Amino acid sequence: MKNAKNVKNANYLQVDNEIKQIVERNGVVVLSSREAWEKFGWSRKWFVGKPEQGYFIWVKKQIDFPLTACATIASPKVSQNLTNLLIVEKNIKIRANVVCNAVRNDLCGRHEAFGKLVLKDNARLEYNHFHKWGEGDFVGADYEFMLGRNAVLKYSYENLFTPKNLSLKTDVYSQKNSSANLSLVINGANSNIRIRDNVFLKGENASGIVRLRLVGRKDSRINAKSSITAEAAGNGHLDCQGLLVDDDSSVKLTPELISKNKGASITHEASIGRVNDEQMDYLRTRGLTEREAIDLIVSGFLGANKRF
Amino acid sequence: MLKITNLCVEVGGKEILSDISLRIRRGETHVIVGPNASGKTTLAKTIMGLREYKIKGGGIYFNGREITGLKPEQRAKIGIALTFQHPPAIKGVKLSDFLRRIGNGCEHKKYVSSQLLEREINVNFSGGEQKFSELVQVLALNPKLIIFDEIDSGVDVKRLEQITGIIKDWLSRDRAALMVTHNATALEFLKPDIIHVLLNGKLIGSSNDWKKVWKTIKRHGYEKCKECEKRKLSAG
Repeated sequence: MKNAKNVKNANYLQVDNEIKQIVERNGVVVLSSREAWEKFGWSRKWFVGKPEQGYFIWVKKQIDFPLTACATIASPKVSQNLTNLLIVEKNIKIRANVVCNAVRNDLCGRHEAFGKLVLKDNARLEYNHFHKWGEGDFVGADYEFMLGRNAVLKYSYENLFTPKNLSLKTDVYSQKNSSANLSLVINGANSNIRIRDNVFLKGENASGIVRLRLVGRKDSRINAKSSITAEAAGNGHLDCQGLLVDDDSSVKLTPELISKNKGASITHEASIGRVNDEQMDYLRTRGLTEREAIDLIVSGFLGANKRF
Repeated sequence: MLKITNLCVEVGGKEILSDISLRIRRGETHVIVGPNASGKTTLAKTIMGLREYKIKGGGIYFNGREITGLKPEQRAKIGIALTFQHPPAIKGVKLSDFLRRIGNGCEHKKYVSSQLLEREINVNFSGGEQKFSELVQVLALNPKLIIFDEIDSGVDVKRLEQITGIIKDWLSRDRAALMVTHNATALEFLKPDIIHVLLNGKLIGSSNDWKKVWKTIKRHGYEKCKECEKRKLSAG
């Protein structure tokens, strides 16, 4: 299973409840979380309990390739329960591309993922997280990012095909001089979506920026609460924007700022817009149907235009 | 190519155009002039089929086919295009990507800078950039008839000459143009075949001598054209 040929990345692939591939490279340990729990006693402090499924990735040396992880549902009514742990050692800069998806629209699966991502001092992580689900799936993702001193996190979550139920929780704990830049892009269709993101500025000069782009369409309910808590003299900004496409849907955005330090500066902006008739007319004169025009406006809003 | 017969149009329950009849043949360039709020843009957008403009009477025909009930995208597909006077911003959509999406994005790119192509459509475009963006978009659609709604407004003489030059290059025996304008310089550059005067929602006159019409408007205002038309009718 390990060190598969023709794979250039360090890699973890799970399909349904089976690990299909684990690829390690020099400087990177990739194991199932269960195996890591047994093998590395120190890892237990990061796990809440003994994990059932999920990956353990430990980046010990600088690498020049991205990490990839994929948890796929390919069979009907599968229930996944993943506990993921990614540890990036000091001064290491990496990129991770993670995909969680259902291969078909009608599998009615369940995907629960608990993730802890630890960036030690001066570490840098670009984490690109893609979700693509079927209409009957239930999905929960609960991620914690622990940022050491001077650590840099760029987290990008994109979900253009939402499940029936999506619960997304993201917590970031930022130590001195660290910075977190979070972008969550969700195109909600036929979906109940609950989003909670919290950035805790725990160290002096820590910074956090959260950018939400949420679209509600086709009988969707979106409830998003985005929060920054400044416990130290840091900086933070929330940029929450929603786009409501039809009257059958609803979008609720709640930005929350909590300051516990007079030296902190935290701000927010929030708005919920609509697809306006003028844009629609304009695009239709260019030959796009009503549906194509909405899709283009939505993809532009989400910043996903390049992929449409 | 385009025939409009006794067209009456309402916007928001108010009649804006009444009894408009107009005929544009292949290869012709027509210009519509008129004061503000005379109904020029309403006519342009009605021909394009925008939903706000309700046709209460009359009909629109394109290449012998009635198009009065067609959607804007259907009209675009059969060869009608419109440049907007105030085009809306489409955030997150690059002009170059959009040109690829709607037609042959490459052919007319030369008329705009590569920087403009990489920007989001109409987001913080200057007046001139908007006009050139409009122009390349409609050209990408490869239409038979283009309606230019004040494509000359807010551009300097040099750019206006460029724009009219592009329009003239595009025109051919199989194509036609209808331009809405306030601008004598645009007329000078374009030299239209027919000029129409629109006043209070009515076409009060048409002529193949645009210079004479413009001179009359300049000296005596648009109302004078009404008298000229009456005289022409009584003489006829």
